[in-house]
Amino acid sequence: MASLKDIRQRIKAIKNIQKVTNAMKMVAAARLRRSQINMEQARSYARRINEVLQHLLPAIDRSLNHLLDFREPEQIGFVIVTADRGLCGGFNANIIRITTGLLQDYDREKVSLICIGKKGRNHFIRQGYNVIGEYVDFWNDLAFQHAAGIVEQITRLYLEHNLDQVFLIYNEFKNVVRQEVVTQQFLPLVLTEADEEDENSAELGEFLFEPSQQEIVNSLVPRHLNVQVWQALLESNAAEQAARMNAMGAATENASEMISTLTLEYNKARQAAITKELLEIVSGAEALVKA
Amino acid sequence: MSTFHLEIVTPTKVIDKGEVSYVRCPGSDGQFGVMARHTNAMFALSAGEIKVVSEKETSYLATRGGFAEVTGDEVKILVETAEHAAEIDLDRVQKALGRAKQRVAEKGPDMDLARAEMSIKRALTRLRVAKRHQV
Repeated sequence: MASLKDIRQRIKAIKNIQKVTNAMKMVAAARLRRSQINMEQARSYARRINEVLQHLLPAIDRSLNHLLDFREPEQIGFVIVTADRGLCGGFNANIIRITTGLLQDYDREKVSLICIGKKGRNHFIRQGYNVIGEYVDFWNDLAFQHAAGIVEQITRLYLEHNLDQVFLIYNEFKNVVRQEVVTQQFLPLVLTEADEEDENSAELGEFLFEPSQQEIVNSLVPRHLNVQVWQALLESNAAEQAARMNAMGAATENASEMISTLTLEYNKARQAAITKELLEIVSGAEALVKA
Repeated sequence: MSTFHLEIVTPTKVIDKGEVSYVRCPGSDGQFGVMARHTNAMFALSAGEIKVVSEKETSYLATRGGFAEVTGDEVKILVETAEHAAEIDLDRVQKALGRAKQRVAEKGPDMDLARAEMSIKRALTRLRVAKRHQV
């Protein structure tokens, strides 16, 4: 059995850890509230603009904008959104595991990665993947400009034929206790499966365009891309804070549990020591009486 | 009068106007109006005033531009901003207008005429919308 001093030290250490995890939980909870509001406000706009695009895609001439070109996928880009920091449960591990699974279906030379967030960047560089873009250290002052900058790089690579197909992988915020890794094709734009269920979209048919199909497509498509990446960043940010809040909440609880087990052990050890001491005194006294 | 469903969506809010009978938007090639049973259409919108007529009220909103989609019995307006008269701060608009006019008048070396004109147009739209509700 561990000595009293050892147990006391362990209890103290765990109490300190608990203070840290509890503080991190509070910080994450405060940030979560803010990022969740931002994310939810932007969500309706992102969904609507996607709906509009889904209605539009069957009705337009794809040759109007090169961002709509279908090409033989020689070079494939993956945009992976992770966090800058750890201690948020399976948040980063999940997305990295799912991405690695996806990447196994492709030749390494054909794959280029754009990593958003330090965790993903560090992992994929270490694994020797071709990382052509990295965006780190901006989560604290996340702004629409970040999304626009990322989209600018992706569209440039796509238009210069350096990438022929681009996927976007991020954690979607389902609710406070659940995040889900989603993979969506970013370029070229395609009809999403969810919308095929929506029967209206196929039957809309002809559209009238004002001022012209060309102008609508040229302004709507880039707008759509920016909004989708922006939404992915907001979702990931909210999901990260939620994951961290839960992970730190669980850690704080585990610490409480450990403290109570150790306290019990400590009390037992102390009782045993007292009993032992008493026995020694009593038997010492008896020995004196006999003598 | 037959009606259609109108929704105005911005990156920060969704304004559900419910069933309306007429909406007038600032198209990039001039204003246009939409009534029920319009053909499917996509419009590019520039900065200007959106007028909404429903059974119970006629309201105006100031916008910076975006898109409008007409499908079946539904009109979706996706814009950067949409402000009701009550949300417009007249003092700020007047100041913005003054600054923009000054920029054009001074013709500084790095003045972007197109941008200044946009600011003026935006400010004037907001003034017009705000005034409609004062009468």
